[in-house]
Amino acid sequence: MGKSLFRFADALELAVVYAFCFFLNLLFNYVKVWDFNSYILKAFFKNFMDYQTLIVFFFTFIVIVFHYQMLYRKKIEVYCRVLVGDTVLYIAIRYIRDCLMVLTVIYLLFLLIHVHLKFCLTGNIFLVFIFIIYILISASQVRKYENF
Amino acid sequence: MKIFKFFITKIFLRKAILCISMFMLLCLANYTTFIASRSILSTLQGYQEIKCMNQEGIFIANLDPDSNIDMDIIGETGTRIVYDYLNSNHKYAFYTDGFMIAVPNDDDMEISLCYMNEGYYELNQFDISHGNDLFFDFQLDKEEAIPVLIGTGLSKTYPVGSTIIIDEPVLGRSVILKVQGVLKQNSCHSNFYALNSKSYYNFSIFMPVNQEFIENANIDLQLNGLMDLIILDTTKEKTEDLSRFMYDNLGLKFNFFSQEENFDYFNDYYLYSLKIIAITTLILLVVITCISIWNALVSIRLMMKDFTINLLVGLSYSRLRRIFYSYFGILFGVNLLVISSITALNRYECWLRKDATFVTYGLFGLIGMDWLALLVVLFSDIIIGMIVVESMLRKIKKIPISLGVLQ
Repeated sequence: MGKSLFRFADALELAVVYAFCFFLNLLFNYVKVWDFNSYILKAFFKNFMDYQTLIVFFFTFIVIVFHYQMLYRKKIEVYCRVLVGDTVLYIAIRYIRDCLMVLTVIYLLFLLIHVHLKFCLTGNIFLVFIFIIYILISASQVRKYENF
Repeated sequence: MKIFKFFITKIFLRKAILCISMFMLLCLANYTTFIASRSILSTLQGYQEIKCMNQEGIFIANLDPDSNIDMDIIGETGTRIVYDYLNSNHKYAFYTDGFMIAVPNDDDMEISLCYMNEGYYELNQFDISHGNDLFFDFQLDKEEAIPVLIGTGLSKTYPVGSTIIIDEPVLGRSVILKVQGVLKQNSCHSNFYALNSKSYYNFSIFMPVNQEFIENANIDLQLNGLMDLIILDTTKEKTEDLSRFMYDNLGLKFNFFSQEENFDYFNDYYLYSLKIIAITTLILLVVITCISIWNALVSIRLMMKDFTINLLVGLSYSRLRRIFYSYFGILFGVNLLVISSITALNRYECWLRKDATFVTYGLFGLIGMDWLALLVVLFSDIIIGMIVVESMLRKIKKIPISLGVLQ
């Protein structure tokens, strides 16, 4: 990972968190096209389908938790890097790059599944948009650890 | 209390993101449990309700899905012939509802008229909060008032003994109704083919129907009554003859299902659906619990120093456990409040929409079934809380105090 703040375990954890959110979205899309043949099941799942966006959004909070704890754990590393000549801007850029790399891999994986199953792609784009905002906000927090 | 307040304000709330995410996860867990338990309870309640109809010798009619209603073929003569045949050859329970009329009342609701004959009334044994039972031997052609039962919502405007004058939609003329009794609060009727779907009688009028009434009613009532017709004390052969007779006169194919067939249908259709709901909920709860544990362990990782410093200065593990349980107790309490408020708002929405078939009465706007579902949620919260708190304590115990303090 070179100069990155990410270790393999961190990248894997982030990938799992992203994958979970995309999987949840996939699950909702699957339920949407599922032929229930049962009024009770239809009524039960309707309670979730009506709030699909809100539920998926609630779950994206685990991504915020990941970013928050990741940067908090790496605060000494950020400070040390600045001490040996690195700049906050480059650390933040590398952080954004790594997060986007993980996001792209997971997004492409789920894009393939969605295309294969002929599901609507808007939900995934909405998630990518939210995750990019989270990445940018968390990258701006790197500055906080410049002075330890 | 002082130490608990310190932990909440100086430790947990200092990392608000972790608290918010835990709250959201628990909210989703509670919502899932609430919806699932209410669906299951509602279906079981509906099953209990129709159990009285699933007796030996009782057959329930169902219009064949392939049979199309062609109003050009079906005439009043056809339905009258069918009812004449029914009256002379069968004992039957007749019920139909959904006829809306405007009756002045305190809540400004549209009123739903439910028509039933003596057979249906005896079969269902409706609970009456005050007043007397319905009787069916009234004379329609005289200027005599028709005895009716009304829902709780109407009893404020029309107490027992009072009269209501309405424009009867199926008779096509004005009639006088006399309030004979008031139904118990939140009395309801489950759809035969969707037991979890309920129509409440709080703003309904129960109209007794006898042979004379059906003869004078329009085709809408006569035809609707045939859709959910229940034939009593009969045999499969007799219902097959009836089905053929109905087909010849109305061009509609009706199937009559016996007790055994209805039980089989319940096992195949309802039990399967309930199993799917239970399994889905269980999987969702396990997943959410796992994420909550992850979230809790992240909190421990970030708050390790705070916890270990407090342990170093004399806080015992049992005291820490109590603090964690109290913290999760607050989270679950707020969650339960949120879920009950959303449910109460949903119920109140029916009042705002003036939706007479769905308005209900209850403590804080919640009916008995909602409270039962909340009890299930509370039980699931205790289990989730125990799992998460014990995982947190296990993690804390693994960290040497000196190492934690140095962090």
